[in-house]
Amino acid sequence: MPEPIITFDNVTFTYPGTEEPALRDISFSIMPGEYVAVLGLNGAGKTTMGLCVNGVVPTMLGGDLTGTVTVGGLTVSDYPVREMSKLVGMVFDNPEFQMSQMSAAEEVALGLENAGVAYEDMKRIIPETLELVGLAGFEERSPLGLSGGQQQRLAIAAVLAMAPQILIMDEPTSNLDPIGKQEVFDMAAKLNRDRGMTVIVIEHEVEVMARYADRVIVLDQGRIVMNGTPQEIFSRVDDLAALKLRVPEAAELATILGTDYGLWKGPIPITTEPAVAEISELLGAKNG
Amino acid sequence: MVESTPTNPTLAIDVRGARYVYPTGNVVALGGVDLQVAHGEIIGIIGQNGSGKTTLTKLFNGLLKPTAGTVIVNGVDTAKHSVQQMAAHVGYVFQNPNHQLFARTVRMELEFGPRNIGVPEDEITERVDEVVEFFGLQEFIEEHPYRVSFPVRKLVGIASIVAMRPPIIIFDEPSTGQDHNTTHIINGLMRRLRERGTTVVCVSHDMPLLADVVERVIVMKSTEVIADASPREVFADQALMARTNLQAPQVTQIALQTVVPLGGPVALTPAELAADIAQRRGKSARRGRTSSVAG
Amino acid sequence: MSMQAAMPIAMIPGNSIIHRINPLAKLVWVVGYVILAFSTQNIVILYSMALFALLLAPIAGVTKPLLKGALILVPVGSSLLALQIIAPAVERPWTAVDQIGPLVLYGDGVYYGFVLLGRIVASLLMALIMVMTTHPSDLFTSFAKLKVPYTLNFMLAMTLQLIPVFQREVGIIMSAQKSRGMKGTGFSAVLPSFVPVFVGAIERVQQLSISLESRGFGSDGIKTSYRQVRGRASDWVVGIVGAVVLITLSVVAITKGTWSLANEITFSPLFVLITFLIAATLFAGVILAAIAFSFKK
Repeated sequence: MPEPIITFDNVTFTYPGTEEPALRDISFSIMPGEYVAVLGLNGAGKTTMGLCVNGVVPTMLGGDLTGTVTVGGLTVSDYPVREMSKLVGMVFDNPEFQMSQMSAAEEVALGLENAGVAYEDMKRIIPETLELVGLAGFEERSPLGLSGGQQQRLAIAAVLAMAPQILIMDEPTSNLDPIGKQEVFDMAAKLNRDRGMTVIVIEHEVEVMARYADRVIVLDQGRIVMNGTPQEIFSRVDDLAALKLRVPEAAELATILGTDYGLWKGPIPITTEPAVAEISELLGAKNG
Repeated sequence: MVESTPTNPTLAIDVRGARYVYPTGNVVALGGVDLQVAHGEIIGIIGQNGSGKTTLTKLFNGLLKPTAGTVIVNGVDTAKHSVQQMAAHVGYVFQNPNHQLFARTVRMELEFGPRNIGVPEDEITERVDEVVEFFGLQEFIEEHPYRVSFPVRKLVGIASIVAMRPPIIIFDEPSTGQDHNTTHIINGLMRRLRERGTTVVCVSHDMPLLADVVERVIVMKSTEVIADASPREVFADQALMARTNLQAPQVTQIALQTVVPLGGPVALTPAELAADIAQRRGKSARRGRTSSVAG
Repeated sequence: MSMQAAMPIAMIPGNSIIHRINPLAKLVWVVGYVILAFSTQNIVILYSMALFALLLAPIAGVTKPLLKGALILVPVGSSLLALQIIAPAVERPWTAVDQIGPLVLYGDGVYYGFVLLGRIVASLLMALIMVMTTHPSDLFTSFAKLKVPYTLNFMLAMTLQLIPVFQREVGIIMSAQKSRGMKGTGFSAVLPSFVPVFVGAIERVQQLSISLESRGFGSDGIKTSYRQVRGRASDWVVGIVGAVVLITLSVVAITKGTWSLANEITFSPLFVLITFLIAATLFAGVILAAIAFSFKK
């Protein structure tokens, strides 16, 4: 039985200068190689939870944290962020805000330089990492001249170069166009599938999460209110609606057919294909 | 100070042969667009980044002037008027409210636009009261715009434009960075604005949002308008969607693979598709309820 | 279509001899130029320096952008010369050489005017050539080798990087406020744009600092560098020759009390008149063009 890679144990956190805790008594664990989607309204505590994993909360931002966050066997609050960054890579919603260098290669190099990686190793790691995110040959391009999707993949490459075991993405596609969104999600899925990387995505795009995630965690006002497989969570259409969250339209459709028309009794589909199969059968049953 | 003598009062937006080429070089941002929008329409503009969407909408309020062709908005030629003069005719809600808000209180923020376009002081108060009511901002009115939550700030950004009562309002990516709840509120606002007779133009990547509110979709690719039809027609055109790398809402995709081949509607919402399926099952559904529905 | 934010002065990529010279050797020349230019009033030296810098431009393949960048000298140079002719920065009495309406033209300031112009032209041309042939990252890597503190170095590099970003950001914010009918004058007009720029900058800095900290910024261990800036024998030669020649000339100039040729060179009244007319016309032209441009906007 493998050990969890991330464990939150009764974590409550309050930002400096505020009264209300941003996180309230959070407990959960994540196994290595899991793909976890975190859902919730703005202000539910999703970003704060992500920042607890690499120690920006509380090490950098201060505030009052009780309980323990353990990542890769280390108690996060005992280590500086730069130490945790060897285990946890984190990217944010605005890729441009994460760019600081003149060229893509230097952007990827920054973390390696800070870690004192030898030049010969960097020469190997940088093209490899750029290739991994689909930016092979972009070494000399200026980060600011890239498209949104390319910038976000470069931001991901910049943290991947440090070979973390966990990748946390905080609304990574909210500023991207549909092509850019697709690029980022495809890449994250590949990292998870082929490299066994633990991926945590904070996201509003429920249809995409229904397809990729192994697990969904729902936060509301700093509390975990749901934690289960996408199938378990997205089937609870009415509960999610009460939390003012979106559900995949396939699930909403099946739920309406079930409750309003008494036409759905099986499991609720959360992606397009099973919904199409079930409905075809439903319509075929009438004809046949 | 803004003289409004509509030359073609039937059209809100009348774009003819509009091109836009960047002054710094020969990059064509918009290549020959024709577009007519009637007063009171609610339209969506979709396409990948770089397809020309933003350039087109910036022509509407004169932030950019066409290098060829004409853009007449609310009967006013944008080429002959400054952006400030156009502000009375067309409102532009920028994507990020942080680009817009600066005042000490929400109230002052809402007063800024109307005052700029020369609305008398007593009417400004009346307009502000009205938008506060319309947007439900009562509890935030004396707050600093940066002290309220991001979703509320977005609403303040929209309200600051609505207070100017422009007959046409452009929304640039209204749902970006917003959760479902806020998107839902903005949806409702756009619909209510339209009911008041405002022409609404919504640029967005959010297909479910557009499916929910707009009645006409302009599809852009490589600086040109390549389709202009109802959301149903656009989302049903799978070749078009593939060519532009766009995806119809999930429920529309399900409809296309199930009820559409049987002559059913290109459903835009789950409720619509559910109703059609139920109708198709009709009596057999009621008869079959005891036997084998959930096979 | 990504819109490349335009930098006012940027590196022109290339592989010329000048491009390949070590940034520090080039820096020696720029610093040497500035020291010499401001320690002498010898216009032969000053304009020879400018000419030498100009000769480097075609070798580096940056002639056109260099001349474009040097356009800034037109308003500066013309106003400077015109001013020196109507109000010399030397002790009275002044010798009037001509008169245009109420304007009295004096010959005394002409030499000093050309000295000032020569200093600016020589220093600017050399600096531009260096900027246009050096990758900024190489320069900062070289600074790091000189033990410039990492954080300071990073801040310098970052500032350079942020200029086009902020230009664009200010553009968006101005557009947003103009769309709300913002009028364009006075402090009250600037405020609506200033606050959002400031807020945006804070937000950007916060996210960037988290992003950098997450990549090990601020660790106190040994840092390595991805950009390798080599110092070859030829670079040493260029650097040392530059330092020796320029410093020697500076020292000579200083010992000779700026080595001014003001007493050796005299200007005919006609020369002064023509210089003034050209300078004044150019300056007026620039001002008129600027006014016309702002009205057009």
